[in-house]
Amino acid sequence: MLICESYHVPKTLEEALRLWAEAPDGSRLVSGATDILPWAREGRAGDVEIPALIDVTKIPELKGYSCDKGRIRLGAATVYQDFLTDRTLMTNLPCMPYCAIWFADDQIREQATVVGNLVNASPVADGTPPVVALNGEIELTRLEDGAVRRRSVPVADFIEGPGRTLIQPGEIATAVTVDSAYGYGGSFQKVGQRRSLVISVACCAALVRADSTGTVFEDVRLALGGVGPRPIRLRDAERRLKGERITQELIQRVAESAADSVGSRSRKEYRRDVVVNFVRAGLEEALANQPEIGAKFKNFGETENA
Amino acid sequence: MPKIDLTMDVNGRKVVKQSEPHKRLLDFLREDLNLTGTKEGCGAGECGTCSVFVDGKLVKSCLMPAAKADGAKIETIEGLARPGSLTPVQQAFHKTGASQCGYCIPGMVMAATSALRENPDAGIEEIKERLGGNICRCTGYTKIFEAVEIARDVIAGRLPETALDEDATGESFIGANVRRLDAPSKVSGRLKYAADMKMVDMLQMQVLRAPMPHARIVSIDTSEAEAMEGVACVITSADVPGTDGFGVFVHDQPVMARGKVRHFGEAVAAVAAEDLITARRALAKIKVEYEELPGVYAPEDALVDGAPVIHDYAQDNVIKHIPIRKGDIAKGFAEADLILEDEFRTQQVEHAYLEPEAGIAYVDHDDVVTVLSPSQNITHHRHMLAEILALPINKVRFIMSPVGGGFGGKEDMIYQGMLALAAMKTHRPVQLNFTREESLVASAKRHPSRVRYKMGLKWSGEITAIEFDMLSDGGAYGMSSEGVMRKAAILSCGPYEVHNLKVDTKVVYTNNTPSGAFRTFGGMQAQFATESMMDMAAEALDMDPFELRRINMMRIGSRTHTQQELTTASLDRVLDAAEEASRWEAGAPKVRGPRRNDLGGPDTRKPCTLGARIGEPTDTQTKDERVAS
Amino acid sequence: MNRKMRGRGMASSWYGIARTATIDRAGAWAELDDGGTAKIVTGVTEIGEGILTVLAQVAAEELGVRPEDVTIGDNDTSRSPEAAHAGATRQTYMIGNSVALASRDARAKLFAEIADHWDVPVDSLRAFNGELWAQDTNLRMSMDEAVKTCKGRGVVPVGSASFTAHGTGLDPVDGSGSPWQAYVFGTQIAEVEVDTWTGEVQVLGIWAAHDVGRAINPRGVEGQIEGGVVQGLGQALMEDYQTEKGYTTTHGFAKYILPTSLDIPQINCVIVEDPDPLSPLQAKGIGEPALVPTAPAIMNAIYDAIGVRIKSLPATPEKILDALRNHVPGREQIAQSARQDRAEAHRRGL
Repeated sequence: MLICESYHVPKTLEEALRLWAEAPDGSRLVSGATDILPWAREGRAGDVEIPALIDVTKIPELKGYSCDKGRIRLGAATVYQDFLTDRTLMTNLPCMPYCAIWFADDQIREQATVVGNLVNASPVADGTPPVVALNGEIELTRLEDGAVRRRSVPVADFIEGPGRTLIQPGEIATAVTVDSAYGYGGSFQKVGQRRSLVISVACCAALVRADSTGTVFEDVRLALGGVGPRPIRLRDAERRLKGERITQELIQRVAESAADSVGSRSRKEYRRDVVVNFVRAGLEEALANQPEIGAKFKNFGETENA
Repeated sequence: MPKIDLTMDVNGRKVVKQSEPHKRLLDFLREDLNLTGTKEGCGAGECGTCSVFVDGKLVKSCLMPAAKADGAKIETIEGLARPGSLTPVQQAFHKTGASQCGYCIPGMVMAATSALRENPDAGIEEIKERLGGNICRCTGYTKIFEAVEIARDVIAGRLPETALDEDATGESFIGANVRRLDAPSKVSGRLKYAADMKMVDMLQMQVLRAPMPHARIVSIDTSEAEAMEGVACVITSADVPGTDGFGVFVHDQPVMARGKVRHFGEAVAAVAAEDLITARRALAKIKVEYEELPGVYAPEDALVDGAPVIHDYAQDNVIKHIPIRKGDIAKGFAEADLILEDEFRTQQVEHAYLEPEAGIAYVDHDDVVTVLSPSQNITHHRHMLAEILALPINKVRFIMSPVGGGFGGKEDMIYQGMLALAAMKTHRPVQLNFTREESLVASAKRHPSRVRYKMGLKWSGEITAIEFDMLSDGGAYGMSSEGVMRKAAILSCGPYEVHNLKVDTKVVYTNNTPSGAFRTFGGMQAQFATESMMDMAAEALDMDPFELRRINMMRIGSRTHTQQELTTASLDRVLDAAEEASRWEAGAPKVRGPRRNDLGGPDTRKPCTLGARIGEPTDTQTKDERVAS
Repeated sequence: MNRKMRGRGMASSWYGIARTATIDRAGAWAELDDGGTAKIVTGVTEIGEGILTVLAQVAAEELGVRPEDVTIGDNDTSRSPEAAHAGATRQTYMIGNSVALASRDARAKLFAEIADHWDVPVDSLRAFNGELWAQDTNLRMSMDEAVKTCKGRGVVPVGSASFTAHGTGLDPVDGSGSPWQAYVFGTQIAEVEVDTWTGEVQVLGIWAAHDVGRAINPRGVEGQIEGGVVQGLGQALMEDYQTEKGYTTTHGFAKYILPTSLDIPQINCVIVEDPDPLSPLQAKGIGEPALVPTAPAIMNAIYDAIGVRIKSLPATPEKILDALRNHVPGREQIAQSARQDRAEAHRRGL
């Protein structure tokens, strides 16, 4: 069980940063708290006694989102359920609803935050690949000589490995900024032992924009999770697709090349098979989900598995 | 403990309480407010027994620090309807029989309520998705789905309110769909399970468990724990006054490890203290010195010469071997046109009842040691505990509290002895509530099994002989292993009359988590092998699987594998009923799925694709949905 | 092969009712109480299967009251008669029959007094749903009145009973014996869809036909079948408690995976009633038997869909893809078709 001496709910960012900078060793920041409570149990960390928990979800500037210059800044209090209820987020981040529907369950999605998921840096986090595909940058905030300072780090660099990130002592992750992918088709592939509330063995986020006739890939974004210590952006596959004619053969060829991106030692064969299939399914579903032209791809590639 | 002040609106009433900063919303509701309709099934957000509304959104209260809910509006199962009344969702659960053990039901009713609040017109796919965080182990969810759909339609006015009424009874109550009498207390969260009960002056118990699977206990030093403020007692096997051993067929398991530990997570000592945290902190102060022993982790290894011996009385590590012989298998196989041989394996399975083990013990005014717990076998537990405590049998009393799921997993007396000892030592009521993790490591599982199978058949489909050899992993203690092997052997070759058979089922000790009673008691492991073989035989014989079973099925007058003459037998009727109901297209099982014509009927569901609700979002923040580049 | 492949499989099963290879027994007390209500005391309570409702139905039927008028006492070794344990598919059979017999005993006491009071033969009396009457007469009273009348004559209508099921032990050498006096049979069909890109199996339909002797509460029987099927499905596809050299690696429900609402097939129950001739209620049981055929039916269906036979449970997505990857379509099929040719030849009498 998790035992803490004090629980702080700062009302401003400055107050949170000050509390965090001064917090005794072992103190923890919490937002959704959906990970820390299960962590402090038998089989994982066991009983944990810590000095302080600092809850950042009541800070006004960490709530909600804002849009600017084709980018969307998601405050650290943004929860996964928002991607299933907010029209702006759904249409501008078209891979996120599909990720969210696979993420835990409706109740945990009401609490679990995107930024918290990134900071936890689990190699099997469902939330990371779509953010990486959206060119996410995490915003890290600290106090320096009494002033609030911010820096941004691409999420792909921020996560170094399981549980390891570039966050520095005294820093709070206050937001993640992502591309608007308005007009793209999005998708999310995942497999685990069941379909709800389950850790993925592997997952894949895809964003696709075909031209207005639906014949050429104008832009493609692909990212994988669960296949190594950190999320992987399939840049090479993206390059091979961009500007090319959309054909089943091309998709299949590119998908097969993704197998080598699997770095995990465990269940490697399985993950290699699944990744290939996920890239293919991810592209096909993203095409089918693209507004306006998706209908053309509704049954694209449904039947044949080469 | 440090304190914090919390203010909430709980079920429409303002609550101002001083609590503790570590408490989860779940603890605050259950312990501070006595709102025990909200249950703790796993403590890790994985089961949904603790679902409550916080500011209108359903969340898992085991994942929410109470302090996070400060100032919030909370709605629990107790607050859905006025006392004495039920909401349409609750009434629908009552009508359809959607509650069985009832432990998941408060959370499930909350999830169903949330689903219909979020989308009053939700279709069945969306309803299923919205219930996806709540596990039910009893009902198979089917009656729950039915209830939510009825409630949805009544609320929307598509069905009259009478749709929630009980089905009419005809001229007899036998054969009538009488509504469950216990359902109103379950759907409203009023039923008290053992962990929901409190007694005045009650202590909390926590258990120190073995950190390794096989070790000699060199010494246990409890002095530092006993000296702690708030600790009432520490118990070990040294406190057992009588004959220390429980089990269903062989009493080989001490109340707490005696001299050595035989599996990871075995109870070694226990603390009873004024509160849970003190009890847990005291566990860390108990010093146990272990000398690790070589262990046995696979049943095959247990039978090897020179294998580590787990119980002195069983030098060969065999718990039980059940042989069944009938006819002459040499003759039977000689007559066979086709002989198939194969091997099948089943895994260790957890009962996963949503109610973790819990109980309270006290010594009453007549000096009767009383244990209240969700035990599936209070009769046998009383006998064993009287021996363990060296008390006359009428001085030991077992009360069976409502069982939040059992499936055989609550037939073993794995914690009631500790509770009794602590109650006797302190003369105060003592409560122990397992965590989910504790339940997983300490309770018995379904026996993992390996079956070697040899079946001889004639071209006509008649089975001429079966040789069936099962080896099961009994784990560290005997528990129900003997009975499980007996049932596996009796049922082994399935509902078929086989004139020549040789069946052996054997279960051995290992240092794995013990195996015990679990719904079917060996029957499923055995018949999984048999029914797989039957289909493989049907394929080889180019025969419809129903036909092959009819050729061999037991009938009135058949002799079973144990040579009992059957005076009734209904497999013929059951096969006909199943074949007809499923619109089965006859044919041999030769991978004909792609060509079948009986697939996808109205009596099947759609495959789950997830995202039933995607496509109809509401705008919550901005009107201008496109973010300009 | 298409991405999504479907198939069907079936499996049958049998099971024995109540304790195995031994004599089984259960006791109960019954009392017709003031107001035409009833008290039943027996040493077993609900573990979720619905036994309390079944017992109330049985007592109501036998005593002539309504199920909601029946109070069932707590299960307590110091306050109630022994009914042994809650398991072994024995509750309806053992406790149900015991309560039926105890209720008959109490009713006989009441009927004797009322027959004498009305001066009618005792076998002309009937009681149902809170009313008591003498057949072919205008004599009729409520059970409330009947209990008052009985008590006014100095008799409290109480009864007790013990029900026995006769099983015998097995011979230690050849295993012969009669382990149960009642057997049930079942058959299930599973329809599955296998995703050959991920290895995921979704069970879309189950048809479950089970003999229960007599369904006291059909909805309750369905509930037991549905629950058993889903536990069988869990074992077939996902559940797996694991240890590594004795250390548990599936610590909690994040690792020990159970079926959720998204994994549930449409379950079509077919209740078959082959009455038990050896017990007053003629009912048998359903708790455990419902689970037995599910896993093999699902494995047989997976084979039907993709030609891969899983012989080691559970059939996880990984195991399915592994099996597909290592599947050599040639070898097994050649052996298989040789066997089929011979079977065919045999049928044609060659």
